[in-house]
Amino acid sequence: MKVSKKISPENVLLVGFPSNGLVGTFTISYLINNLGMKQIGEIDHPDLPPTLFVEEGEILHPIRIYKQNNIFVIMSDLPFDPYLAHDFAESILKYCKKNTIQKIIIVSGMETINGDPKAPKIYGLVTHQSLEEILYSNQISKFLTGSIFGADAAIISVFRKSKIPTMILYAECHPFFPNPEASIIAITTLAKILNIKVDTIDIQKKMERLRIQHRNLMEETIRTLQQQENQPTRAPQIYR
Amino acid sequence: MIENTTKEFEIAITSSIDSIFNDDIESQILSPLSCLREYGTHWLLEFDLPLVNKEDIKITFDEDSISVEAKLKETYSEEKLGKKTKFEYFKKSIILPDKIDNNTSAKFENGRLKIIIPKKISNHKIKIE
Repeated sequence: MKVSKKISPENVLLVGFPSNGLVGTFTISYLINNLGMKQIGEIDHPDLPPTLFVEEGEILHPIRIYKQNNIFVIMSDLPFDPYLAHDFAESILKYCKKNTIQKIIIVSGMETINGDPKAPKIYGLVTHQSLEEILYSNQISKFLTGSIFGADAAIISVFRKSKIPTMILYAECHPFFPNPEASIIAITTLAKILNIKVDTIDIQKKMERLRIQHRNLMEETIRTLQQQENQPTRAPQIYR
Repeated sequence: MIENTTKEFEIAITSSIDSIFNDDIESQILSPLSCLREYGTHWLLEFDLPLVNKEDIKITFDEDSISVEAKLKETYSEEKLGKKTKFEYFKKSIILPDKIDNNTSAKFENGRLKIIIPKKISNHKIKIE
């Protein structure tokens, strides 16, 4: 008689926060709802603006942690300025170590030249060689050239020095307008990677109204991202 | 007219709680998002106009400003701070950093209005000594 040891699936952390086209925000919040994930915690920081949200009488902290089975989610409703982005990344790393997270996937958006808004593509970037295979087996094109800034860059910088491999999925999007259409490709790609079933019919029905509803968050996000663009860089002028 | 009460995903994206504050509630007018980008030969002015049909958009311009008005194909409703508000239109005016050329063109695709404004090229030459 053979006794085989049950292998438990590895713990995966998904991260989403407001950035280009609000792709990360739409994708992660849709997954939380669709998978029926339960909130298990929140992340606080003394420099966060004192903000709480109230939804159906429930008080919500802007940065929340959800979990279902082996899938963990950290979602922020606030965009991060350059000062907070690094601390946010460090908090995630601390959380990952404490909860033996073996892989992180961040969802974000990016603008590409000649991208087709009707059929957005998805690109991936990994911090460790071990995740290259996931890109290949899921037909995710590799993000080859470009620059990354803001919270995405902060998390990548922190995690590429750690032992926890991180993947960033970038869906092509309009950077300045809420783009739930682009989040559909991110949702289906995540579902394939995680080997879960996610129905996107609900978000498809609501897309136009979501674009109206999230105008303010989009504006707030652009303002926050522009704070970083306006920061003086240390690179000499000649290299810019 | 179809009425749609927007109910966000159960786990709401909550930061947009004050999104109605830039809108004209009395006149039922929403302020659309817009962005202006500069390219070598032209300016690209874009408006995000979801829930709008192309034939319901009116674009007007004077010397240095462009106004866009559009009727929504469905009433858009939001319930914020205990008050239900309904909107029927988008409306916004943008002042441009340049005078508007008569060859300005517009395109509407996927609920996004793109207005391409060619830059005025002056023929004043600068002599190199």
